[in-house]
Formats: sequence, C-alpha cells, structure tokens
Amino acid sequence: MKLLFKFFILITPILFLFMFYLLLTEDNSYPGADYDTQNFPIFELETLSGKKIVNTNINDKALLLNVWASWCITCRVEHSYLMYLNKQGIPILGLNYKDEKEDAINWLKKYGNPYKDNIHDYKGSLALDLGVTGAPETFLIINGQVVAHYQGEVNETIWNDVFLPIIDEKRIF
Amino acid sequence: MIIEISHFFTILATGLFLLSGIFAVSIKNTEYVSNLISRTYTHAFLFLLISFSLYVWLAATDNFSVLYIASHSNSDLPIFYKISSIWSAHEGSMFLWIVFLALWGYLFNFNITQANPIKSLAIGIMSLIIVGFLLFLLLTSNPFQTILPIPPSNGADINPVLQDPALVIHPPTLYLGYVGFGIPFACALAFLIRGNTEIEWELMVQKWSVVAWIFLTIGITLGSWWAYYELGWGGYWFWDPVENVALMPWLAATAFIHSLSVSIKSKRLRVWTLLLSILVFSLSLFGAFIVRSGIIDSVHSFANDPERGLYLLGFISVIIITSLVLFVIRFSKIQSMIRIKRFSKESFISINNIFFGVLVFSVMLGVIYPLIYEYLFNQKISVGAPFYTAIFSPIVLVACIFLIFSIDSKWSREFKFNLMNLPIIFSTTLSIFITFVFIFLYEIDDIYINLLIFVGFLIIFRYIFEIYKLISAKKYINPFSAMAHMALGLLLISISLNSVLSSERAMSIKIDETESYKDLTIYFQNINLSEAYNYDSIEADLLVQTTNGESFLLSPEKRRYFTRGQITTETAIHASLLRDIYMTIGDQLDDGSWVVNIQINYLIRWIWFSAILMCMAGIMLIFSKKRLRR
Repeated sequence: MKLLFKFFILITPILFLFMFYLLLTEDNSYPGADYDTQNFPIFELETLSGKKIVNTNINDKALLLNVWASWCITCRVEHSYLMYLNKQGIPILGLNYKDEKEDAINWLKKYGNPYKDNIHDYKGSLALDLGVTGAPETFLIINGQVVAHYQGEVNETIWNDVFLPIIDEKRIF
Repeated sequence: MIIEISHFFTILATGLFLLSGIFAVSIKNTEYVSNLISRTYTHAFLFLLISFSLYVWLAATDNFSVLYIASHSNSDLPIFYKISSIWSAHEGSMFLWIVFLALWGYLFNFNITQANPIKSLAIGIMSLIIVGFLLFLLLTSNPFQTILPIPPSNGADINPVLQDPALVIHPPTLYLGYVGFGIPFACALAFLIRGNTEIEWELMVQKWSVVAWIFLTIGITLGSWWAYYELGWGGYWFWDPVENVALMPWLAATAFIHSLSVSIKSKRLRVWTLLLSILVFSLSLFGAFIVRSGIIDSVHSFANDPERGLYLLGFISVIIITSLVLFVIRFSKIQSMIRIKRFSKESFISINNIFFGVLVFSVMLGVIYPLIYEYLFNQKISVGAPFYTAIFSPIVLVACIFLIFSIDSKWSREFKFNLMNLPIIFSTTLSIFITFVFIFLYEIDDIYINLLIFVGFLIIFRYIFEIYKLISAKKYINPFSAMAHMALGLLLISISLNSVLSSERAMSIKIDETESYKDLTIYFQNINLSEAYNYDSIEADLLVQTTNGESFLLSPEKRRYFTRGQITTETAIHASLLRDIYMTIGDQLDDGSWVVNIQINYLIRWIWFSAILMCMAGIMLIFSKKRLRR
C-alpha cells in the first residue's frame, strides 16, 4: 500500500511532464507557423518606386514575401537576417504595410535594402487578403501559391525549422 | 552604457547566487559557513536589485536603444506606464518575477535567526532555483539586447489593453504570490534533506505562506476585475487557461495553509503539508511554463519560442522530481503513527485536503485535455464553463457541508454531534427560509444553485453564532477562520445569485431612439468623435432610466490606438450595491444604427468583495501576535 502510494506520487508528475515534452516537441509547435496552401490573392498595387505591380508578376517563381513597415520595431531586428538571406541568393519581395512611402524609402536607405522589390500596400488591402495580422510576417510563395506562413520575426532558428524543410522538400532556390 | 552595466550586474548576481547555493549544499553547515551563505545571498540580491533598478531607470527615461524597451514602450506614455511596460511582455516580466523570488529570499534571510537549523540550506535551495531562472533569462529571453548603432527614435508602444492602472499592479501582485511559495518550498526541501523530524519547519513558514496566499488572492481578484471592465469580457471568471493556471496554485495553497495549521498545532498531517508545499510551488512554476512556452493560446500568453518551453520544462522537471524523490525517501520517517481521531478538527482538514486536491486535478484536466486532444486527433476543442461548473458545484457543496460540521469540532478530540442545540436549529431554519424566499422570488429551479445559496447562508449564520459566543461567553474561536469562512459563504451566495439573475442583450439602436430592456429604458442621445494623445475614439452617450425613477448617463467607447492600430472597447458601468449596468458599444450597421451590448450583472461586486474579505482575514492573521510565534 505504502509502496503503491510512493510509486503513484512519483509516476504521476513524471507522466505529466513527459506529456508536456511530447506536446512541446511536436512538429508544428511553432505557434506562428502554418502550412495551409492557398492561391496568392489577386491584387493591383504600386511598388515603392511607383511601378504598377499585379499578382501575375509573381506567378511563376519561388520567392519569399516579407511584410514590413518602418514603424515596426521587430522588422528592424529582423532586417539584418533578411540582408543575410538576400546575400545567400534568396529572392525576397517586400510588402510594405500601412506605411508612408517616404518613411519606407528612407528606412531602406538608412538600413539597407534586402528586397528585390517592394509592394506598397498603404491601406493594407493585400495584407488583409493574405491574412496578415501585423508586421513582420513572412510567406513562402511557389508558383503563385502560398505554401508557408510565419507570423513574427524570422531568424536563423525560424528559417531552419519553419522554412528550410519545405524548401528542401520542394527543391527550390 | 547603462544597459551593459545592468546586464553585467545580473550576470554577477547569477554567479553569487550559484556560489551561495553551492556553499549550502556541499559544505558542512558550521556557523561560519552559514554566515557566509547568508552574506553571499544578500550581496547577490543587492546586485540583482541594482541591475533591475537601472533597467527601470532606462525604461522611465525612454532609452530605445534597448530592444525590449523599444518594442514595448513609447515616449508619449505617462511615466507609470513606461515602468509597467517592463512587465507587459515576456522578457521583462520574467526579470521582475526573478527579482521578486530573490526578494522573498532576502526578506527570509533577514528575518530568520542564524541559529535556525535549516535556514542556510533553505537559502541555498532558493539560490539554486534563482540561478536556474536567471540562466533562463540570460540564455533564452535576454531583456538586455540592444539595437545599435542606430536606435529607433520612438518605441512601439505598450499594448493598449495593458494601459490600465489595474495592469500596473496586477502582474506584480500575482508574481509576488506565485514566487512567495518558494519559501515554504525551500524550507520543506531543506527539512526533507536534513531528515530531522524535530525541526518545526511548518511554524517557520506559516507567516510567509499566508502572505504569499494573500498576494495570490489579490492578484487573481485584480485580474478578474481588469478582465471585467477593461477587456470588456463582462464577467468575473472565464476559465481561460491562464486564469486556471493561477487558480490551481491558489486552490493548492488554500489547502496548504489549512494543513499547515494542523501540522503546527498537533504535528499531524505532516506528510500532507509537505506534499502540498511541493505541489503549490510546482503549480506556480507550471503556470510560468504554460504562459511562457506558447503551448496554449490565450490573452495572457507571451510571444513564444519552443526553446524557452523546453528549458523551462527541463528545469521544472528537475525541481519537481528531485523534491518528490526526497519526499518518497523520507516518507516513512515523517509519517505520523498516531491515528487521527474521528470527527476531530484534524480529520475535517484532511478531508478538506482531499477535496482541494480533486479540484486542482480537475482544473488541470480541463487545461491539458484540449492539448492532448489536439495532439492525438489534430482537432481544436475547448473545455469551458459547463465542465468546471459540473465539477465544482457538487464538490464545493459537499466540502462546505463538511465545513459546517467542522465548526463545532475540537482539536485532537473525537466529537459527538449534538444536532439539537439552539444555534444549529436556528441558523438552519433561517437559512432554509431565506433560500426559499430566493427560490420563490426569482423562480430559481437549479438544484445546485439553491443548495449553494442555502449552504452559503448557513455558513454565515453558524459563524455569527460563534462570534456571539465569543463575545458573550468568552469561548475561544478562531476569528481569522471565522472571517475567511464567512467570506466564503458570501462568495457562494454572490456567485450563485449572479449566475441566475444576470442577463444581457445586444441591441441595435439609432441616435434619438429609445429602447427598453427589463426595467431599463435606454435613450441614445449622441455620438462623439474625439482624439486623445495616442488614440482616437468613438463615444456614445446613452441615457438610462430605471422604472423606479433613477437615471444616469452611460458612455461606452471604442478606441483606435495610433501606434498599433489596435481597437479596444472601453466599457461604461453604472455600479450600485446590488447590480452593475454594464454597456459596451460595437459596430455601426448599414442602416446607421449602432450595436450596443447591455448587461445587468447582479452581485458581481460582492464576489470581489468576498475575495477581499478573505484577504483581510489573512492580513489580520499576519498581524496578530497571538497565533504566530517566530
């Protein structure tokens, strides 16, 4: 009886803790990440440099879409990693979100520009269609389809755990 | 520069805490060594305090080169929100949490005499726990990270729902409660390591435990109040996972301080008390894990990173398993061979422990069941109020019936019930009568609600008679227990009546229109658009009239904050003794009318009042000299 009690006292918390270990190390335990495939929404906007850009412009390529804004502090933190990714040859398209054009251009001048181009989404309409809740967020787009979406700062850990598996699987970049 | 100094002092403190821990665990406990431990601890704490003070200074003076401050504060904020922005997110609040843990240790170190046989060891254990959390802070959630060389000119602003006076004090109070149980835990562990049953660790920690319990109770009550009027949730408790992880340590702590008093008085239930002290602190740590690992989604959960979760889980596992292994090893030694007498006070408290244990377990189940379900079946489900009501109502009811019987019981003596005495007959009849008045007046047909109301009144009346006895016949009763239990009675009544009487309705209403709801007539006077320093707002003026001639203006508001574009609702509440008229404003419809949600919440203030009353009982206990020897 006493032995049973001792056993029970020890084994119950161990089971609980082990269960939490399983829950934590589950594959999709990145709460900001989701892998729902969806078609890229139809849009017609301007870039920061004033060119017209529509959804067919990004249809047949693999690229990273990064939502950012000059008012976003975390984007500032994320920025250096995006610069690094760009150097590695990953094409990054910026989605400048609810931002004044002038501020955005100054920001890029001041800190450096990792983007090959920037969609200027002043009203946040494209962002709304994409399901963006704030900045920064990053999408992996292959052939006009969103295949991965991450809310929050992309850094080395997130890149390796959230994006690289898919990139390796689909053999892109 | 200052941030580097602050960072450096935290690292220094970590080293010193580690030293104090190593001294305590590995060196033989002589007077010299115990002085050394005590001093090392004091210095470590002072370094940590300097570091934190510098950090507060940086936040107060808008130093946006610190990443954390830049991300959570803003130069337009009033000074107290600048400071409270420190605990508005993960890194800073963890920092505060650790400072509080160390503060309790410091006060303990300062208060207990050097001659105490387990003091040094307890301080050492505290130190090691602090080191574990400081390493967590420094390695996975560094609040000292900077944005250099070009810092942003302004910060990102604190989340607007957190710009509220209640939130300046809610987290610190709650943390003080959580980590306060580190002291009884460290002493329990030290007691287990020493293995000398003569040591009265229970007496040492009673005051500390009650203080921690008071903080925890106030913290939870403040949170409940904040959710009601600031978040616009419109109720006092939502069984949100994070509310639950605060409730679990509270339930365990309540059982713990009951059990503790038995262990002090008659050296019984020592096994229970030890186990509960381990449980309370483990649940506090578990709370930190749940909130900070991102394992659940909730209003409270912080930005998350699985690495943090794994570190915390690992560290908590070490603490819990070590203490339980020690407990199992010493079990036979502590176990009292004296049987508890039937119907003695001890017997009732041990039953109470069991009830509380079951409640903790069921809340735990409610928190983790959705997680397991999602893991196994990949489907999201939520466990809500019906589950908890179904479990809590019968258990609380039965526990309270035992409580009523325990009022007349005696310590260490068998007790013969004499149901035919005047106070019992009188208070029972009175309670039945009042309950029936409520049943007929409000047509309450829920059996549990009726029984809970009855039990609530019975508890109050029984104690009123006891207090009368105390005054008239000089018979001793425990006034703190009387007060806390009467507060419990009041809590049962308020919660029960609140659940059956309260109602709400969402109506769409145009300017200059009149609507009526229950005994209220609502006239939509006006809508105002205005702009404040960091938000613009839509405010509706609604004139409410009751049938008995009272009239007042309610102005619910919606705000849009500039820096984050976040929309918040500001509730308008008309409070009176018995009920709150609670109003929030929603969206404008296409026909120009506005959605206005109106709630009538009965006795909701009494619920918080009961909680405050319980705390008062605790505070009186702390300040009474009679019951506590140091």
